[in-house]
Amino acid sequence: MVERLRAWCVPLFLLGALELYARTVAAGSDAIAPPSAALLAWFGAARDGSLWQATAFTLGSAALGLLIASALGIVGGLLLGLSPRADVSSALSIELLRPIPSVALIPLAMLVFGFGLRMETAVIAFAAFWPMLILARAAVRQLEPRLLEVSCMLGLSAWQRGWKIVLPAIVPRLFVALRLGVAIALVVAVTVEIAANPHGMGYAMMIAQQGLDPALMLAWLGWIGAVGYAINGLALRLQQRVARAMGEAP
Amino acid sequence: MPLLAFDRVAIHLGGREILSPTSFEVARGEFVCIVGPSGCGKTTLLRAASGLVAPQGGTVRRNGEAVTRPSREVAFVFQDYGRALLPWRTVQGNVGLALEAAGVPKAERAPRVGAVLDKVGLSAHAQKFPAQLSGGMQQRAQIARCLAQTPQLLLMDEPFGALDALTRHGLQDEVARLVREQGLTVLFVTHDLEEAIYLGDRVIALQAEPGPGRPSLARMLEVPIPRPRDQLRTKEHPAFLRLRRELFGFIEQGHG
Amino acid sequence: MRRIPLADAAASLALLAVLLAVWWAASHGGWISRVFLPTPEATLASLHEGLTTGELAAFSAATIWRMVLGWGLASLAGVALGVAIGLSAAVRAYVQPMLEFVRPLPASALLPLAIAIFGLSPTMVLAVVAFGAMWPVLLGTIHGLVAVAPRLQELARCLDLSRAAYVWKIGLPNALPDILAGMRVALTVALIVSVVGEMIASQSGLGQAILLAARAYRASELFAGIVLLGLIGLASNALLALAERHWLKWQQP
Repeated sequence: MVERLRAWCVPLFLLGALELYARTVAAGSDAIAPPSAALLAWFGAARDGSLWQATAFTLGSAALGLLIASALGIVGGLLLGLSPRADVSSALSIELLRPIPSVALIPLAMLVFGFGLRMETAVIAFAAFWPMLILARAAVRQLEPRLLEVSCMLGLSAWQRGWKIVLPAIVPRLFVALRLGVAIALVVAVTVEIAANPHGMGYAMMIAQQGLDPALMLAWLGWIGAVGYAINGLALRLQQRVARAMGEAP
Repeated sequence: MPLLAFDRVAIHLGGREILSPTSFEVARGEFVCIVGPSGCGKTTLLRAASGLVAPQGGTVRRNGEAVTRPSREVAFVFQDYGRALLPWRTVQGNVGLALEAAGVPKAERAPRVGAVLDKVGLSAHAQKFPAQLSGGMQQRAQIARCLAQTPQLLLMDEPFGALDALTRHGLQDEVARLVREQGLTVLFVTHDLEEAIYLGDRVIALQAEPGPGRPSLARMLEVPIPRPRDQLRTKEHPAFLRLRRELFGFIEQGHG
Repeated sequence: MRRIPLADAAASLALLAVLLAVWWAASHGGWISRVFLPTPEATLASLHEGLTTGELAAFSAATIWRMVLGWGLASLAGVALGVAIGLSAAVRAYVQPMLEFVRPLPASALLPLAIAIFGLSPTMVLAVVAFGAMWPVLLGTIHGLVAVAPRLQELARCLDLSRAAYVWKIGLPNALPDILAGMRVALTVALIVSVVGEMIASQSGLGQAILLAARAYRASELFAGIVLLGLIGLASNALLALAERHWLKWQQP
């Protein structure tokens, strides 16, 4: 309980200081607004629906991009983990393609898809694909070799081995990878919206700044932070729940 | 004046009495071993002697002055040697840490570290990292660091417990030799009865779950076996066998 | 089955060659319009031209400079603040929850605020790069300092180390793996924010270059820029990995 109170001390103090500063020294500024005004702006956006629409777009494109990245990444990772030949041959190509920053593909996605959902989803999928691939591969490689020996002794078919042994064993680590993927997907989504895509929370924040509405801009900034925090928290909780259900220490 | 004196030292941890009011003295140059079953408070007693733990009752005195905090004059050899060495420093760096802490000028450090490593037989491994050393060598490195402190008092907490028998015997003899050469005063905690009798001038036996009529310090026995001692002959010495029988029965029963 | 390094290298080169061949075929065969997918030769030509007579070299230098400077400042600030926060349990109790809130925030999200305050300038981009890249280093430093094993803390007490000596000889070396890991993440953040900053603040650099190339439908220049950004990412990461291996050689001697 005391910890909860202590956690709020410094943020509340800083918000209070900002409130004071914005209302006195920086009154009428185009850049700074008091937190109270930002809160009112937030309510305004919530009431007229723009908040929910933009949030839905960002979360939707993030989810879609993550879905694609996970499907491809997990399948790819499984392949790399189980087949040493595939693993070895793909190593160089992965090392050359992986370092390309996802933001570098924004103009390309823009060129191919124009603006909208597909463009953002494509960039997110690229960004989230690599960590999913690498972590899925690692999950398979860290499989307890003893389990594979047991499956050999029990005479399990390749399908049985995959379904009954390999997949359940790697599920906890896949959820850890998913947690990371969620974080990346959200960050890239907002980044794409700030850089180019005229949709979603990032764009709404840019528009507010360009329209010299600091209260609304700060409201969006705070909201983006809150949404990110909440979703990452949920992902963590899910991952821990899965770990416990699969018998692993969380 | 005794080097170390426990004056009715009592320790409570987590609401339980770990050590009932205990008094004993350690004279300069003495090698005192402490044995007892697990939970009897022997490690806690050692930590109180170093100042890492403050007693709830009584006083620990070193050279007549109360011990309130750790000091460089007291060297502590931890049981988990792997964790007590800095993994990012070589053996030389680890031993040098003691000299750095004491503010020894840089020019003096290398020769002094070299001398200590020579004494424990690690000169050839000076540039290795702890991860490259065996358990026995890691413990020797820790002992070397403690010796580099040129301590008045050497406290050893089950230093050989995690090692195999052969390494253990070798290190026992090494420590006995080093202590004799340097004229060190040692307080040595072990659960191994034979080790305690083999190494000590005196053996203190503690018992667990102290209470009224059942003090922590249950027995204090002199070891009248002459030095230097030998792994084979000493263990057949009549005094050794007598002490072993007496203390064995005591530790088995857990009674005073 | 023993792996033969030469055969492994050959296999990986073979796959790369296959991918390049597919690229070549796709662009030449018109499977994907050349508006979107330039031929490999065209990309190479754009790269060559841009680096020799064109401005790609200058753009790359600008982006690299922004990235490295911002990352450097971020690392110093991150370690310094991390030490200040990490050493005191009291400070941590008050500050750490707030840090956990800021952690998931995209660094680029601060660009609009920075534009509002500083206007469109290279300093503005640098400020956001540094601020954004600081967090992984800060969090890594704190984590590394807090995670000093209790035995080592007791050792410090036994040797009567001063606070400063403890930080320098035990705390920071213990935290070094976490700090270096944080610095690696910080480098990727720095590159990303540099590129985004250039795109939206019209600052000279690769970010702006590829955005303009896309708008002008100059696909080969766009791809040349992407290749360069990939190389920058690759090289910077490789250099840092090398440094990490050198400083952390005690982990696997």
